[in-house]
Amino acid sequence: MAVLPMQHIRIYALKQNRKAILELLQRRGAVQITDPKTDSPVFEKMDTATAQHTFEKSAQTAQQALAAILELAPEKGGLLKKLEGRRALTLTQYEQGVQKQEEVLKAASRIVLLKKEITDQRAEITRLQTQLDALMPWYGLDVSMRVKETRSTRVFIGSFPQEWTEEELKQALAQQNPNLDVPVCEIISCQNQQTCVFLMCRKCQGETMENALRALGFSYPANPSKVPPQERREQLQARVKEAEALIRQDEKEILSFASKTDDFRFLSDYFTMRTEKYAVLGQLMQSRHTFVITGFIAEKDAPALKAELEGSYGAFVELFAPGEKEDVPVRLQNGRFSSPVEPVLEGYALPARGEVDPCSVMAIFYYVLFGMMLSDACYGLIMVLGCGIVLHKFRHTMESGMKKSLTMFLYSGISTMFWGVMFGGYFGDAVTVIAQTFFHSDFTLEPVWFNPVNNPMLLLVFSLLLGVIHLFTGLGVQFYQLIKQKKWLDAIYDVVFWYLLVGGLIIYMLSTPLVTSMLTLTFMLPAMVGNVGAILAVIGAVGIIATAGRSSRSIGKRLLKGLYGLYGISSWLSDILSYSRLLALGLATGVIASVFNQMGAMAGGGIVGAIFFLVVFVIGHSLNIAINLMGAYVHTNRLQYVEFFGKFYEGGGQKFSPFSLKTQFFTIKEEH
Amino acid sequence: MDINTLGLPLAVLGAVLAALLAGIGSATGVGMAGQAAAGVVTEDPGKFGKVLIMQLLPGTQGIYGLLIAFLTLSNIGVLGSPVDVSFAQGLMYLFAGSLMGFAGLISAKWQAKASVSGIQMLAKRPDQFAKAMIFPAMVETYAVLALLISILCVANIGKIAL
Repeated sequence: MAVLPMQHIRIYALKQNRKAILELLQRRGAVQITDPKTDSPVFEKMDTATAQHTFEKSAQTAQQALAAILELAPEKGGLLKKLEGRRALTLTQYEQGVQKQEEVLKAASRIVLLKKEITDQRAEITRLQTQLDALMPWYGLDVSMRVKETRSTRVFIGSFPQEWTEEELKQALAQQNPNLDVPVCEIISCQNQQTCVFLMCRKCQGETMENALRALGFSYPANPSKVPPQERREQLQARVKEAEALIRQDEKEILSFASKTDDFRFLSDYFTMRTEKYAVLGQLMQSRHTFVITGFIAEKDAPALKAELEGSYGAFVELFAPGEKEDVPVRLQNGRFSSPVEPVLEGYALPARGEVDPCSVMAIFYYVLFGMMLSDACYGLIMVLGCGIVLHKFRHTMESGMKKSLTMFLYSGISTMFWGVMFGGYFGDAVTVIAQTFFHSDFTLEPVWFNPVNNPMLLLVFSLLLGVIHLFTGLGVQFYQLIKQKKWLDAIYDVVFWYLLVGGLIIYMLSTPLVTSMLTLTFMLPAMVGNVGAILAVIGAVGIIATAGRSSRSIGKRLLKGLYGLYGISSWLSDILSYSRLLALGLATGVIASVFNQMGAMAGGGIVGAIFFLVVFVIGHSLNIAINLMGAYVHTNRLQYVEFFGKFYEGGGQKFSPFSLKTQFFTIKEEH
Repeated sequence: MDINTLGLPLAVLGAVLAALLAGIGSATGVGMAGQAAAGVVTEDPGKFGKVLIMQLLPGTQGIYGLLIAFLTLSNIGVLGSPVDVSFAQGLMYLFAGSLMGFAGLISAKWQAKASVSGIQMLAKRPDQFAKAMIFPAMVETYAVLALLISILCVANIGKIAL
């Protein structure tokens, strides 16, 4: 349970050491730089926007070049690569990379240019194809489409928006104007509501003809070709070939860089780093010969950094504690057991100033609840093996976020195994089904505790009990927080009274036959104890009515607010009932698993039956584990976020984001 | 005709309604969310994993329906050894199954709407995954409550001699 204490850090140094100091800070990644607001006439800030922009663009160029290469020559092992995390470079390798950067950037620009050319050529091909498509109906024409007349005739080349035969067309023209004489009427093509025609008439009849044609919906082609269509087609096709050749050539050139993908990765990281560095540079206060860095640093990192900066770089480092109310960035530190749930907490919100880090309390419940929802020993084993193998294989390089999440699933898997053994779930009832179908025996793996399908009420009661414990723990954390802030009275008003009310009510209810028989409990508290519970509950209720409205001054308002505060008991009811999802999801896993097992057993015993069983088994259980794993994850989170956090946690802290190497592909190993 | 011969068909109807209605709800819901998810993946294939989980959230109601159907079928002897089901018991199974069916049908649809919005949220704020996931999960509470009551009914109806 720890939010690391933070300190303000101020580093005063000479400008000649600026580069070295900044690079050291970036490699250490321990300081979050803040932007000091100062109007000092001595210090001013540097404008680094242009430089940042240039670096960003270079990084983008490198990334685009990389993407272009990977598109043509994809690399294997996408997911594994991701699990593997960033590769570590030695400082020497880093220096070598930096020396090559200009040359690599040139190559990257070249690739981006080639990629653009390819895109352009692809667009060109599409355009040519469209033209070819438009030209297709005219292939039968053996003169230019632009012919309008000969010495003594008018020529009409165009199309009608109907399908017509030569005879129909002639008739239609005759109907328009009986005097019209059309010596040449040739249908070039006729398809899809379009008839392309070649018509000729004497020059003197040209205008009459044009009118008649217009009335019939005649139109000239949109892009008439100068040469006969067939010839035009060859021209276009030649251009398509040309473009294709160009694309092939460009792709070949891009592929020639395929062995250098790591160079581009390095370049991308290098410029990302520089962008970050210049962003920081722009925030520094600088005078002619000195500069000042301000920021936050975790208390535990401070002495080492101070010593290093003052020893090797002649800087002066000032450290001081932040004020009571100040907004300080949050960095969590937890042990092996509870750090895996940090990402879950981050998904909600980081603790605000003065709040405790709930990870360690949350962790134990997280694993238990998760395990109960999945509750199958074999599924748990699969989780443990899967996460364990991956964690072990990539233990040196895996990113910490990924590592934490996988560890969380590993621990949840262990808990799943535990509950599976408790409730007798081994791939559901696979053992029983296999024994019956293939060996005709009644062998079953008995649950250590009980089988929830046969006794759902018991599991329900247990789930609700777990819920009450979880919620009371949450309330306990609230108590701890209030005590820590020395708000003694608030601790009594907001926590103790609720303990009395809810706890007392539960004790009282357990002494009534109505509740015990409903929950099929085998015991009942004696009336005496029940009465004590009732008295406690009344004390709690009165206390809440009296104090929940303590922020208001007028008595009437206070009382009303107090009554409304008591109404909060309804949210306790819904919160506790919400834990019935432990039963629902736990049963769902087991029942679906047994549905698949029964389906598998339908083909009976023997070789064929066994093969059928195996197929159904593998597919069915993969599906079941996927669905229920997701369900368990979602609902465990929900119980933590809504029910548990609702009792004490608000969050709202800003994450500590140090000035560091925010690279994508490589990290740099420190050499001491 | 002995009215008690209707017991078994009514109970089967209860099982069928649970799986059918909840199944329809989930199918509709997962479909709706899937369309939204596909839209997000068009823009950024890297979000596939996250939006897939969001898509599957309204799918649980169908599973709850299946669960009730299965429990009913095994309790009334359609699966496993035959049991006598009286008319009254059959009716009760029907009520229990309908509860899960209708609650599943409607909650899955509304959960899907919350899911779709969550998916759209992920398109812009992929870092807010946990929150996007919680909104649809809130809707599911009511399906879980219905499931709870249905389970309690189905588990205990056999013990009531009516």
